[in-house]
Amino acid sequence: MSTLAPTPRTINRCLPFGDARHLEAHQFLVDEAALLDTQDYDTWLSLLTEDVRYLAPVRVTTARGAGFDTAPGMAHFDEDHYALSRRVARFATEHAWTEDPPSRLRHHVSNVRTFALDHTDDEVIVESAVLLFRSRGDVREPSIISAGREDRLRRDPARRVPSVGHWMLAARTVSLDESVLRTQNLAIFL
Amino acid sequence: MGDQTAVLEDVRRGMVPAHIYNDDEIFALERERVFGRSWVFVAHESEIPRPGDYVVRRVVEDSFIVSRDESGVVRAMFNMCLHRGMQVCRAEMGNASHFRCPYHGWSYRNDGRLVGLPFHGEAYGGEEGFRRKGQTLLPAPSLGVYNGLVFVSLDPDAPPLREYLGDFAFYLDLYTQQSLEGIELVGPQRWRVKANWKIGAENFAGDSYHTPHTHSSVVEIGLFREPKASKRKEGALYWAGSGGGTTYKLPPGTLDERLRYVGYPDEMITRMRATWSDAQLRMVGDDGFMVSAASVFPNLSLVHNWPKVTGGEDDEVVPFISLRQWQPVSADETEVLSWFAVDRNAPERFKELSYKAYLMCFGSTGMFEQDDVENWVSITSTAAGSMARRLRLNNRMGLLADDKPVSPPLAHFSGPGVAYVGFGEYNQRAMLRAWADALETPPPEPGPVDLGGVT
Repeated sequence: MSTLAPTPRTINRCLPFGDARHLEAHQFLVDEAALLDTQDYDTWLSLLTEDVRYLAPVRVTTARGAGFDTAPGMAHFDEDHYALSRRVARFATEHAWTEDPPSRLRHHVSNVRTFALDHTDDEVIVESAVLLFRSRGDVREPSIISAGREDRLRRDPARRVPSVGHWMLAARTVSLDESVLRTQNLAIFL
Repeated sequence: MGDQTAVLEDVRRGMVPAHIYNDDEIFALERERVFGRSWVFVAHESEIPRPGDYVVRRVVEDSFIVSRDESGVVRAMFNMCLHRGMQVCRAEMGNASHFRCPYHGWSYRNDGRLVGLPFHGEAYGGEEGFRRKGQTLLPAPSLGVYNGLVFVSLDPDAPPLREYLGDFAFYLDLYTQQSLEGIELVGPQRWRVKANWKIGAENFAGDSYHTPHTHSSVVEIGLFREPKASKRKEGALYWAGSGGGTTYKLPPGTLDERLRYVGYPDEMITRMRATWSDAQLRMVGDDGFMVSAASVFPNLSLVHNWPKVTGGEDDEVVPFISLRQWQPVSADETEVLSWFAVDRNAPERFKELSYKAYLMCFGSTGMFEQDDVENWVSITSTAAGSMARRLRLNNRMGLLADDKPVSPPLAHFSGPGVAYVGFGEYNQRAMLRAWADALETPPPEPGPVDLGGVT
């Protein structure tokens, strides 16, 4: 039982993998991963809606049946557009030491499933798994962060955003697979 | 174990042998003599508000269940079954009337009492073979509570917590007692960093000097009202009792104006006025110093700051408070536990914005913390080698060669202890003096505990 981890959805509501919306959503995630790997955060920010919510709750170990597996009221990320824009602006300064020299990042994205919504064709829910490999310096142990994600993608009403199908990220919940993270910080995005 | 006398002498004269930040022998001594004796923070009462609520926390490698029993009493119990040593609670938090060991089914009430022992009669011959009555999970040797902050000490003869905190309690109140009901503590975020635990504790105790450089990026992106981080040098550094910290100098004004400048709404200011002592109010209102970072020996730190959290054109800032613990894992690894604290009576909107301010600045994603940890990881890895055994780091800022201070202590400071204005490593030295004192004091030697009636 998970309150904030991706909701288990019925198999028959998942779009067939040949569906155009699924293909576009999948491409969005892979294209986004390339931006995150190269830390092209300005472009990444341009793919987020103004009302974006970016959430990564703190996972906790609880007894089976406890009814929750996240720390009440606490997250690693609980961001709106302004907060994300400050983070991106900081990385653009010459004094964000934690990523200078930058980490070598690889976001591996898999297990993508897309779900249509009844009321609109311009939004979809997309589940995915992400495995981030992060290496810093020459000999430090690399860190690996595994997470599930549940995203809400929305088509840019103006059809201007250059992503395939003009999709934008309107909401993301990152469900980290560790309670205690084994990385020096989350100066990265998932 | 090698003789550390020379190391401690160097530390006391403000020359720190760099290897103390990554040395297995030193770490073994710390585990025994610092963490085997000191009061160590484990939880806040607001984390376990209802009967049966519990969290599991550690003192180095010792796991304790911190629970509120059915009568409302907060307890800390060693998380090890009396029979074969299994952890009786393997969750991090929850609510339970009992803890049942998964190995052989021994069960304990949430006050620690052993109440279930399968086949007690057949296997042990009942009470005659194993006296179940009166047995409990091993309680923490000492437990103390201040402002709802629960501490344990592994030393059964530890001085009372209040005495240990000493005059630092004056400053602790400013973070954790902004109204009579005190704080609620939310979290923690937990993550492990390849850094020695002392570095964070020293940094928060008194390193206002790093702010202008390490944290210049957060100033550049407009997160703060003050255009220059070098404003840090106008703040006072104080040491009192078992801890010390840094402050910011507030612009001129009355108490209310100064608290409003920090971003506190009037209703919270009214409660601070009704809760804080005259001296506490004078420190903020007359002296114009507001607490920022602080540490209590050995490994609890606090931080208070007031960034802009909305994208508006105005200068509105919102203060936040964080408690954090530098939990040692090994000589070169620390688990950071970082909580968000807010006054229980604060308006809901304030709580939301204050939480947002916390997340932007501190914790696993905090824009301050990110750059701090990068430094600390790098120091720790460099401290492992043989050159670090030769290099004594200069920890003497604020002192002349003859040990006289560069500038005298503040003559008029409303808080207890000793305070200086300007940059200086007074508090880092005080922290390491406490550390040196602990390391050269033989450890407490509590006797073993036998169970089951064999005498």
